[in-house]
Amino acid sequence: MRSLRGLRKLQGLRLYALACGTVSLTIVFTIIATLFLQSLPVLMAENTNLMGTHWNPGKGQFGILPMLFGSLFVMSIAVAVAFPLGLLAAIYIAETRSSKLRRVLKSFLELLAGIPSIVYGLIGVAYLNIWVADLFDLQSGRVILTAGILLGIMILPTFLTLTEDAISAVPVKFRENAKSLGLYRHEVFFSIILPQAKTGIAGAGLLALGRALGETMAVMLVIGSLDRLPKPLLNPLSSGQTITSKLGREVPESAFGSVHFSALVFMSLIIVCITVTLTIVSRYLFRKTGADV
Amino acid sequence: MFKKFGALCLALFSAACSAPDAIYVSGSSTVLPPVSKAAEKFSAETGISVIVNAGGSGGGFNQLAEGQSDIGMMSRNITSGELEAFKTINFTEVAIGRDAVVPSISSEIYEAGVTLLSISQIADIYTGDIRNWSEVGGPDRDIFVIDKEANRGTRQVFMDVVLGDPKAEAAGADLVTGSNNEEQTALVQSNAGIGMLSVAWLNDDVRGLAIVLPNGKTIEPSIENIRAGTYPFVRDLNVVKRSDLKPSANQFITYLLGPDGQKLVEESGYIGIAN
Repeated sequence: MRSLRGLRKLQGLRLYALACGTVSLTIVFTIIATLFLQSLPVLMAENTNLMGTHWNPGKGQFGILPMLFGSLFVMSIAVAVAFPLGLLAAIYIAETRSSKLRRVLKSFLELLAGIPSIVYGLIGVAYLNIWVADLFDLQSGRVILTAGILLGIMILPTFLTLTEDAISAVPVKFRENAKSLGLYRHEVFFSIILPQAKTGIAGAGLLALGRALGETMAVMLVIGSLDRLPKPLLNPLSSGQTITSKLGREVPESAFGSVHFSALVFMSLIIVCITVTLTIVSRYLFRKTGADV
Repeated sequence: MFKKFGALCLALFSAACSAPDAIYVSGSSTVLPPVSKAAEKFSAETGISVIVNAGGSGGGFNQLAEGQSDIGMMSRNITSGELEAFKTINFTEVAIGRDAVVPSISSEIYEAGVTLLSISQIADIYTGDIRNWSEVGGPDRDIFVIDKEANRGTRQVFMDVVLGDPKAEAAGADLVTGSNNEEQTALVQSNAGIGMLSVAWLNDDVRGLAIVLPNGKTIEPSIENIRAGTYPFVRDLNVVKRSDLKPSANQFITYLLGPDGQKLVEESGYIGIAN
């Protein structure tokens, strides 16, 4: 009797887990389906120049190219800032510090990752923006470079802590064997540890990229909101716009169901597709590291 | 412990449920200052809470139309496109004050001698045909052109006068801002900027330009000229209501139009509607 009740309890638990799983899956699919459906009006509408460079909702022009380019450009700058810094810092923490200090340093870094993005945005507006303006003698520091640097700082903790995990996950026996063969410290790192950890590091990079692409508030405050391709194209000192900052600024102003709204949804569909791809690839890479060790 | 927590939750929940009595107002950051001051006084007098949010004229209209707010604030008139999008609803605009959009420049340029511009010069700056202050009598410095988000009332009033089309694209723009505060900050931080601000946002760091009319007459952005309507960028500050307005919200609009409300409109730097 008692075991029967236990069994029932277990079955109840299973049903509960099943329900939870179904709900979360449903949410994901509903979001993607909604994005698709809401994107249709702008895809059906004529003369919207969706792949053009002009965005003027009042005139029915919905060229998303400046925003798409802006997102990728800002992301690349963020990567250029965060990856070298993150990688070197991770090596320093994982390879040269004691495990006690490592734990302390890491918990601080993880604290950094938890700071709300609007706080970074405010710091960007108050200081970074002015520093960039002074440094390059600009009229305003609200430019793509500022957004890129700020975003780089924001994704640094995520990248750093995951990279450090990947490096520390390389088993001690590899290091000890390598050392006993008389290899120098840098040789141990570059020939033994890095090859082992590289898929994990790549995965960390991709997750950080996903965060960079999805970031809205901080970028919105410092990028200058100019819906135009920079001139010349790779000039980071010009104002720009990312997909997310565009959404943050314009979604409240667009009427639900209008072509304007639909164009904004279409842009979010693009960004969702990119981040989903990044997440899937990074998960695959993480799994691979797990199997290797 | 959990009982206490539960009781607390219940209390919070019931407090949240009583909120629908509040009046929700949102929209133009230009109309916001007098309305939020009035909201405070109105709440103190009547006990009805009024929640005021910014977001721009376009946002204010959409929230009203979608039923998320009771009153929209707009610093421009409702466009035919907006009316078209919500055909089934009846909107009424009520002017609570009068304001001017003033082409504004960084104080450095103003002090260097640029105190007035003609409308065609401003147009050329925004289309990118004039790129240096020296072309309009200022120092040899690139003009930093600040535009505003397309749906902002201030921008539509400004562009309507300057380029003859509220939705005109400004090819010369270097930066796009949202609210008056944001635009003001960008102008202050720059030393060669031009932008558009409501008259209430001008100060020593951000100076308003006098306008040379096509007939050669120069009009200063003074309160008298705005009141008389001779300054070219004068506009009404509106609150917008729907026909299904709730009585408390109607009472608030009456308050805005009454002597107390109008006093606050003038204190905010605008012109009262009774004048």
